[in-house]
Amino acid sequence: MMFILLQTNPLEGWFIGSGKAYVVVGVACVIFIGMAWWLLRAENRLSKMEELLNSKKNAPSD
Amino acid sequence: MKNTLWKALGILLLAYVFAITFLVPLGPGLLEFQNVERVISSSTENRSVPEYQLIGYGTHWDDDPDALQVFVKSKSQLAALEVIRVDDANHATVGLTLPYSLPAKSWNVLINHPIDGTLLLENGLFLSDRFIDAQATWPAPSFVEHPGNLGFHFPYQPRIIETIRNLMLHVPLWFTMFLLMGIGFVSSIKLLSNPRNQLDDQRAEASVQVGLWFGVLGLLTGSLWARFTWGAWWVDDPQLNGALVTVLVYSGYMVLRQAVEDERLRSRLSAVYNLFAFVILVILLMVLPRFSESLHPGKGGNPGFNTYDLNSALRAVFYPAIIGWMLLGIWMYLVTLRMKRVNRQIELLP
Amino acid sequence: MSERMSRSSAWSRYRFLTAHAFRMEWRQKHGLAGLLLFALASVYACYQVAGGRASSETWNALAWVVLMFSAFNAVAKPWPEDSEAMRKYLKTTLRPGEWILARMTFYSAILSALSVLIFLSFTLFLGSEHFNPRQGLSFLLGLECTALAFASLLSVLSAIASRAGAGFGLTAVLGLPLIIPIVLISTRYGTDILKGILWIDTAHHLLFLAALTGGIGALGFILFPYLWRD
Repeated sequence: MMFILLQTNPLEGWFIGSGKAYVVVGVACVIFIGMAWWLLRAENRLSKMEELLNSKKNAPSD
Repeated sequence: MKNTLWKALGILLLAYVFAITFLVPLGPGLLEFQNVERVISSSTENRSVPEYQLIGYGTHWDDDPDALQVFVKSKSQLAALEVIRVDDANHATVGLTLPYSLPAKSWNVLINHPIDGTLLLENGLFLSDRFIDAQATWPAPSFVEHPGNLGFHFPYQPRIIETIRNLMLHVPLWFTMFLLMGIGFVSSIKLLSNPRNQLDDQRAEASVQVGLWFGVLGLLTGSLWARFTWGAWWVDDPQLNGALVTVLVYSGYMVLRQAVEDERLRSRLSAVYNLFAFVILVILLMVLPRFSESLHPGKGGNPGFNTYDLNSALRAVFYPAIIGWMLLGIWMYLVTLRMKRVNRQIELLP
Repeated sequence: MSERMSRSSAWSRYRFLTAHAFRMEWRQKHGLAGLLLFALASVYACYQVAGGRASSETWNALAWVVLMFSAFNAVAKPWPEDSEAMRKYLKTTLRPGEWILARMTFYSAILSALSVLIFLSFTLFLGSEHFNPRQGLSFLLGLECTALAFASLLSVLSAIASRAGAGFGLTAVLGLPLIIPIVLISTRYGTDILKGILWIDTAHHLLFLAALTGGIGALGFILFPYLWRD
């Protein structure tokens, strides 16, 4: 580990200088946006289902 | 509107946290001060002195090589060393111009630089071949602590180095798990005091389910951190044992729920077990680590980071991270809860 | 039985229940014999695995593991009160809290006796060269405290499992994670004792165990009525 650390561009350090930081941020953002999107979609679908269930309850003839 | 606002806030906070956490550079620090097995004749003193190499991390010595000053310090005794040359931004060659009789064997290495400021390498120099005379003193060189001239950065800490960024993931994940398990605990108490309200049972189940995910993520990020700082994926440590046992205990809760058929009975049995689980969680993660030796930060007292380890730069990200993760956790919990309720309503449909 | 109990005080009901548990156990001798056999056989298995050459670390670890599994074995046997009809009958004559306390007392007595037996058979088979008599007594004290903590925790868990109708498998699944904190404290204590650390310097572990026992017992006492409810 130290070996890798010592070899790299001193000005920006190993993590950011080597461009790995951008990969990490990219992956994190993709996971993150995916999750938020999934949660929003789940909420929308749940709202629709709740509406449907409520209308069924109110219409006992079904 | 109000309902989407806090979700958007959580997402924005976490986006800010991720961007800052991974894109802000780490501040400079000293990695090593090592003997290069060479003896050179010093220009100031007319005798040969051993040569040492000073290795920094993220330092900027070649921007102003003449301004680099190197000192060694033991208790109150300070001595200046001669900088022979600056090889590049983080390598410098230093001559060990010290008298033969010294007050101590072990010395801290200090450097001063207009950009990096004052940096410290604790016990960086160990001299075993000198004559030790506790009374040895000499006039101290002028030394002024320098604040440095750097932009926004995270503090360098020995051994942790770049993994300090994990602070924004690992710690808030555990906090969020605490919060969710706390919601489960309260719901279980409510259920036991009013067993007719099955909503409390669903609340407890949803919060434990989401909380378990956060616990598992906390374990994984902790394991990564342990690999870097302690050299092993898992070490025998009260805090780590407590974390694993907590996750196991709550997995037991999920097993118990699966095992009981009758709904009323299930809600009551799992509520009783959940109360036990939360008490054990508090004992394991908040009480026991304070009484035993631990590698985990803040050993022998506070099982979290010590306050002085958290400087303003870390705080600017750490507190938003806690709030952001908690908001996300609550959002996940609410969605899970709604799913359970809809599922149940569908089951009850004629 | 019900006449006598409904008119009596809580204390006498508790005493009666405890005595009754012992009497029932004594009548079915195969239960007690099974416990003894399990403990002795595990100690002998440890002796075969580690031999007389067991280091003090191994000695310590095996003793706690044997005690833990013997404790699980002790709570595995279902009680007649676990049946639906019996529970409904008992509910009319006594309070559930008295019953769980009696059950904890019974298990505490059984496990204390069992821990003495395990300790003696350990010194017989795996040797006693790792400690002097004083350390041995301190170790036994630790075993006793652990047995009490096990008894209070496992009686609640076995009650949950039997109420769930899932039998012994569930007791083990629920109990093993929850029992780890107790085992952690006990093993630290045992290691300290066998290392030759003064008893007073490691006695805080026993205090922890006592606090855990008290806490779990109190929690079980408060929560048990909810388990018995229909």
